[in-house]
Amino acid sequence: MMSGFCVGLQFENSCEIGVFSKLTNAYCLVAIGGSENFYSIFESELADVIPVVKTSIGGTRIIGRLCAGNKNGLLLPHTTTDQELQHLRNSLPDQVVVQRVDERLSALGNCIACNDHVALTHTDLDRETEELIADVLGVEVFRQTIAGNILVGSFCAFSNRGGLVHPHTSIEDLDELSTLLQVPLVAGTVNRGSEVIAAGMTVNDWTAFCGSDTTATELSVIESVFKLREAQPSAIVDEMRKSLIDSYV
Amino acid sequence: FAPYIQVEYIAVMPRKPTRRGLLQNPPPSTFSRFARSQALIASAYRSKRKINKSKFYKKSRSNFSGNGFENHASDENSEQAESSDEDFDGVVQADFAFFDPKPSDFHGVKILLQTYLDEKQWDVSGFADLILGQTTVGTVIKVEDDEDDGVYSVVTALNLGRYKARNNFCTISLTVAAATLLPITCCNGVDHKCIAEIKEFLRKSCKEEDTMNNLRSYLGEQAQDVGLLISQRVVNLPPQLLPPMYDALFDEVSWATEDEPTEELRNSFCFKYYLLISRIYKHKTADQQKRQKSDEAIVYVKPEDEIFHKVPVCCFYRPLTELSHSSASDSFNLHLSSAPGPSVSICALSNLYLMRQEMLKDYRLMGLVMAVEASKVSAFRGQLKSLIDEPS
Repeated sequence: MMSGFCVGLQFENSCEIGVFSKLTNAYCLVAIGGSENFYSIFESELADVIPVVKTSIGGTRIIGRLCAGNKNGLLLPHTTTDQELQHLRNSLPDQVVVQRVDERLSALGNCIACNDHVALTHTDLDRETEELIADVLGVEVFRQTIAGNILVGSFCAFSNRGGLVHPHTSIEDLDELSTLLQVPLVAGTVNRGSEVIAAGMTVNDWTAFCGSDTTATELSVIESVFKLREAQPSAIVDEMRKSLIDSYV
Repeated sequence: FAPYIQVEYIAVMPRKPTRRGLLQNPPPSTFSRFARSQALIASAYRSKRKINKSKFYKKSRSNFSGNGFENHASDENSEQAESSDEDFDGVVQADFAFFDPKPSDFHGVKILLQTYLDEKQWDVSGFADLILGQTTVGTVIKVEDDEDDGVYSVVTALNLGRYKARNNFCTISLTVAAATLLPITCCNGVDHKCIAEIKEFLRKSCKEEDTMNNLRSYLGEQAQDVGLLISQRVVNLPPQLLPPMYDALFDEVSWATEDEPTEELRNSFCFKYYLLISRIYKHKTADQQKRQKSDEAIVYVKPEDEIFHKVPVCCFYRPLTELSHSSASDSFNLHLSSAPGPSVSICALSNLYLMRQEMLKDYRLMGLVMAVEASKVSAFRGQLKSLIDEPS
């Protein structure tokens, strides 16, 4: 399967597709409602490789901003209903640990940005939540701000290969974050100048989805920093599978 | 120039006595309104819990007041609103200012246009670009010195026959072209995509035969004389702003007929008709005889619609498609499609939504499309002033 880039996405006339979806290397969550078109774009890009699951969280469609996850796990806010929790546990691969978190900052997607190795979190997250993040997601956790904003989950998006951060991030902050995350970072925008990066796009190691307002310049920046052209999705997923099988032995 | 309006609006605002410690470093700057809305949603869920001591303070700019109106303070040291059902005390002032549309207003205007054609997925971005490209006619209302530069209302009139499609190779370059706002007035006869989508939408939603004939001519051969009157605002914009806003619009239209550089442009503002796409609440039994006398048959979401509705050349109702997500549990959605438009605070919206649910339980939200003669405009301006000024 070719790596890709899906542009021109809209969820009911909104270009904030990172609000209505959550993409990781092991699964993809898509909000209920919206047109079938939205869901089918994800399906056509990803269906052979990872499961695409339709869900709501706490009865809402803003799932991308309420949950945080990577290939190891998925963290859900305390507002998630039991049915939704069960549905997600059933639909996601077994190696993905689905956990509901009792944290007062319940928009986890806004408070936590993570890839498969590192997570950046809101400075005010509970101690227990931080430990839970480290356990369930299998990541090293750093409390950070981005360009003075505490909602790190909203203002940056990063995968295991690269990251895009708030346009007003200073060079020193960029360097510091890049060292923490161990991936190249670039400051930029999405959806025609929107600073809320994670709301306007969603990305994993081999593909990215961007809102339809994203300009050609923004697209080329995204394509280069996330190294989307060279990515081979089946290789990445096979790598993950191999490492899992090893762990059973 | 832009007329400056100062509205001293007395409203209420939550004033929390608890003060949190300040950070040693400069406090984090305000996050975007989007993120703040998310934070408010989060905070609404924990209204029963105690707030832990935290080291930062948030600027909470949206507040809920008991009478359903809401304002943004121009300068603020307020603490985070804990929950929306506490007693409030205090006064908020808001200075609204009128501006010409600028390209930087794109995102704000786009948000206001999201539900313009109900559920239909269409080229809202292109439409927003057309509106912002027309700087001589059209007004955008913002709060003076607002950090977020949020757009609270947009009003303009677009000539239905003016905007034609450009030849382009792919949608990406169209976005770039729109971003640089090249004039989109080439005359190859095919309508610009969003205009074509609007016309299609109107044709599809008109069910009555006679109105259909009128409508077809307004959208077809008479399109050069028809102005699409677009007036979108946040749900709780103070009504005192409406008369000056419409005055500004109609004044600008008449000035444009004299001041525009080319004759073609001057003529394009000589509207004979205005077309409006709007929403109303119609009583469920409005067509039957047995309705209570005290209930109004129609509740107008926008007060000026009532005046327009008295003298339409043609009008029709369109049913709104069943909204799959209009359940009460979705009141925390960013996008309440069953509400007539976006409102600025999502946390407060839930209460507003419930209040409105109660008052309007016997009504059904419907779309309304009206065409009015341009000659009626001067009478309209006077009537709007008296409608807003009367104590109700």
